[in-house]
Formats: sequence, C-alpha cells, structure tokens
Amino acid sequence: MLDFRPQAGLNVLVGQNAQGKSNLLEAICLLGTGKSFRTNRESDLIKSGLDVASASGEATLRAAGTIRLSCTISSTPRGTRKIYTLNGEPVKYAKFLGSAKVVTFVPADLQLVTGPPSLRRHLLNMALSQDQPLYYRNLARYQKVLVQKAALLRGAVAPDPDLVNIYNQTLVETGAAIMLARAHFVSALGREARRVQDQWISDGGALQVQYDANVPFEVATQDAVTAAFEARLRERAEAESARKACLVGPHRDDVMLLLAGASLAAFGSQGQQRTAVLAVKAGEYTVMHDRSAEAPLLLLDDVLSELDPSRARAFMNGIGHYEQAFLTTTVMPPDLRSSALYEVSAAQLKRVA
Amino acid sequence: MALINEFSKLPTVGPKTAARLVFYLLNRPRNEAQALAEAILAVKDRVRLCSICFSITEEDPCPFCTDQRRDATLLCVVAEAKDIFALERTSAYKGRYHVIGGLISPMDGIGPAQLRVKELIERVGSESPQEIILATNPNAEGEATALYLSRLITPLGVSVTRLAYGLPIGGDLDYADEVTLAKAIEGRRAL
Repeated sequence: MLDFRPQAGLNVLVGQNAQGKSNLLEAICLLGTGKSFRTNRESDLIKSGLDVASASGEATLRAAGTIRLSCTISSTPRGTRKIYTLNGEPVKYAKFLGSAKVVTFVPADLQLVTGPPSLRRHLLNMALSQDQPLYYRNLARYQKVLVQKAALLRGAVAPDPDLVNIYNQTLVETGAAIMLARAHFVSALGREARRVQDQWISDGGALQVQYDANVPFEVATQDAVTAAFEARLRERAEAESARKACLVGPHRDDVMLLLAGASLAAFGSQGQQRTAVLAVKAGEYTVMHDRSAEAPLLLLDDVLSELDPSRARAFMNGIGHYEQAFLTTTVMPPDLRSSALYEVSAAQLKRVA
Repeated sequence: MALINEFSKLPTVGPKTAARLVFYLLNRPRNEAQALAEAILAVKDRVRLCSICFSITEEDPCPFCTDQRRDATLLCVVAEAKDIFALERTSAYKGRYHVIGGLISPMDGIGPAQLRVKELIERVGSESPQEIILATNPNAEGEATALYLSRLITPLGVSVTRLAYGLPIGGDLDYADEVTLAKAIEGRRAL
C-alpha cells in the first residue's frame, strides 16, 4: 500500500531499475484508462502470491470538481475480475473510461513508426475511447461481432450467408462511425505532429500522418463511408468465405507516416523515425487537450531519459501547456524543470525536492 | 466440506456464500434439509421440456400452451425458459411462448441449426399466429438472433416485432449510457 500525493506540474520519479517507478505510473494509468500500458493480461497486474490488486485515487477536474476513482482486479477461481468505481459507486468500464484522461508515452511507443499496424491502431483506440464514449461503445460492439463473424467463416457452425449479412450490417453500422472518428482524429494528429516537428531542426522534409483506411472512401461523411464499406464487403464476400477470415474493415486500418512523401518505416533513418515518434506523441497530447476542457494527465515512462537533451526539450516544448505530468527515469535529465522530485527505492517513495 | 464445494459451483455463489448457506442449513431442523434435497431431486426427475414451446414444465404440454385464456395469436420468442418467468412477472403479456434454447453465437459453436428455429417455423405454419414478438437480450448475440429470425419469418407473412429499447423507469437521463439514450431518441413516441 503506497500513498502518493503528487504536485501540480511535473512530478519526477527517480530510481534504479525494478524499484517500482513504472508500477506507480501504471496505477495512475489504470485509474485513467482502466488498463495497464504494460500488459493486456489482467492477472499480471496482481503481485504474485496475492489475489487482489487495487488502485484508487482522487482527481480534480475543471468541469466535475474532485472525483474519486478506483480499479480493483481480483483473481477468483472463475478467472480475473475487475471492478471500477466512480465516487464510490461501482460503474461499468464504458462509464469509467475517460473520467480522468491520460496520455502515455512508454518505451513500446518507440516502435510506433517501425512496429506493426496494431500499435498505431492502439494509439487511435486509446485516444478516441477516452475522448468519445460512443467511440468506445462502437469499438466494443464491432470487435464482438467481428469475433462472431470470424468464427462463422472459420466453420465453427454451418455456413450461412444470411448470418454473415446480419453480422456485416452491424459491422458497417459501428465500423463506419469508427472510421469517421479515426479520419478526423488522424487529420488533427497530422496537423499537430507537423507543427511540433517544424519547431525543431528540419529533419529531411515535412512529416505527414495519413489515415490508411482498409476501406478507402472519398469523403468523410456517414453516407459515403457506409456505402464504401458495404460495397467492399460485397466485393470481398467470396474471398472472405474462401479464406475463412474477415478481410474488410477498420480492424485492418493503419496510419501511414511519411517524410517528404516517402515511408518513414521503409526509408527513414533511425533518427528521423525517432523524431517522428516524438512529434506524433506530442501531437497526440495536444489533440487530446484541444478536444477536452481538461488537460490530460501526461505519463512518461522511462522515455525522455533515452533521448538526447535537445530532443527531450523539443518534445516538452511540443506538448506545450499541461497541468500535471509524471516522469520516471533512472537519471534526472539535466535541464528539465520539475515541480517535485521523488526518489523511488524498494517500492518506497521519498520526496527529495 | 463437500457441501460447500457443491454450493460454490452454483452461479452467483462464491465460497463465502456457500459456507454461509451450509452453516444456515446446519442450524435448521432435519425435515427442512430433507425438503430441500427432495425438491432438488424432483427438479431433475420430474421437470422436462414442453414438447410445444420447450419451456420447462412438470406436465407436457405446459400450462402456458394449454391455457385457453392465453392469446394464441401472439407468439413471444425467448432465448431461455428463465426469460419466460421474467416476462410473466410483468403480467403484461398474455400470449404464447417459444423457447429457442440459446442465442446464435458461432464462437460458442451455436448456429441456427443448434437452436429450435425449425420448430419455431413449424409452429408459425401450424398455429398461424398474427404476431411474433422477438424478446431476445439487447446484446450483440440477442440482436443477431432477432435479425436472423425476422429475416426468416417476415417472408411468411407474419408481423414480426422486437421489444423496445429505452430508458429504465425511475431512471435518470444523466445516468443512461449513450447507446441506450440514442436508441431511446430513435424509438421516441408521440404522447
């Protein structure tokens, strides 16, 4: 049990590896997003030998005043259970999510340019789910129906074109909303990332962030996207049943990152790729901030310390105004101004400045 | 203790509740325990499925199917027999029932062929109801099942309806989730 009362501004947690710095950040992330940034396996969050993990906290918001949040994960004989509360009342995840918005920047994000599309979709999903409750609900419904359709195509039950059409109907309804939200978000993200990138040394040309929808559409309107999705599903119906897989839809979306018109993943230098990641992450923060009356919490896990000082400074400049941030590091970056400095050692916390 | 173990296999009962039930029973007279044990066995021995609607019953056909006061022009389709008891508690429905025995869910190996869909179509032919009410849960599986059945039944010339979506009575607009609220706006009615 650890009690932590952070300050406004930048809270820096310094300590050796494996002392519990990231763990503390993870707890804050759990209160914001209901998920860990390190693992998808809920049971991994529970300390070995125990059967419960719990995080609770208070957040002060402009709109809602002070709210109390908690997230408890317990392992039972029937699997892992997760209980969320908001102001002491148990609530569903969809209601809990987005109560206190969080933007994270963790080591895994450094693969954002070169890693698989799922990483880039994850960024869109986490940001949009926190920003728009309806996005999360559409995404959850989309994924549920997608699993059912996949099982049907795989032959888990007798083939049934009628049933495929019924699943497609829900996929189009929810998927079109997901695609529209992503299109708007990526265009804002591209603008912001470009602005951040422009602030530092021009690094071989202009950065472009483009939404690479699996189902291309002409204009970003509900009708156009719905029509394009329906047409594509019809075109690929035979291929889907032959290959026994769901081939069409936003679950196959990607985000393209280009520098001077060329793919950064394919042609960018390591330095250029790194700069692009920083610009996109800083852009993510400013877009999230612009879309909400609240400044999201900024969680920086062991990332800035890996950067050279000029990049780290440029990143923080790119973020611009924030109200509260948390940074874990093994060595204090020399020219970072913090509001509070904590030493973390053997899961204990001591304020040193 | 063996009984604690047995109780905790039941849905919604955890080890703590199971222990409480066992200690409660220990403090009660023997005949109460015997009545409970016999009632449990009787459920297994005497209760079976109605051959018409597939609800659970002690006599076949079940009282819902034989009761002449019930409206035979209405047929309400539910996933499980327990849904009938939920609907009966309302006293608002006086028609017949049909239990299809689950919801379409390919990931669990349940397709239309695993449910009593064929039997439903046969009843629509033989009993000629005027309206089929689809009362499956408003979740992904319930929705898919309802859509599937409606595509199957509508061509037979029978009117197909679905339970309304909306706000819980006594609820608060503030507390309704976005999807429910959006559905409630869609399904609004003139006063």
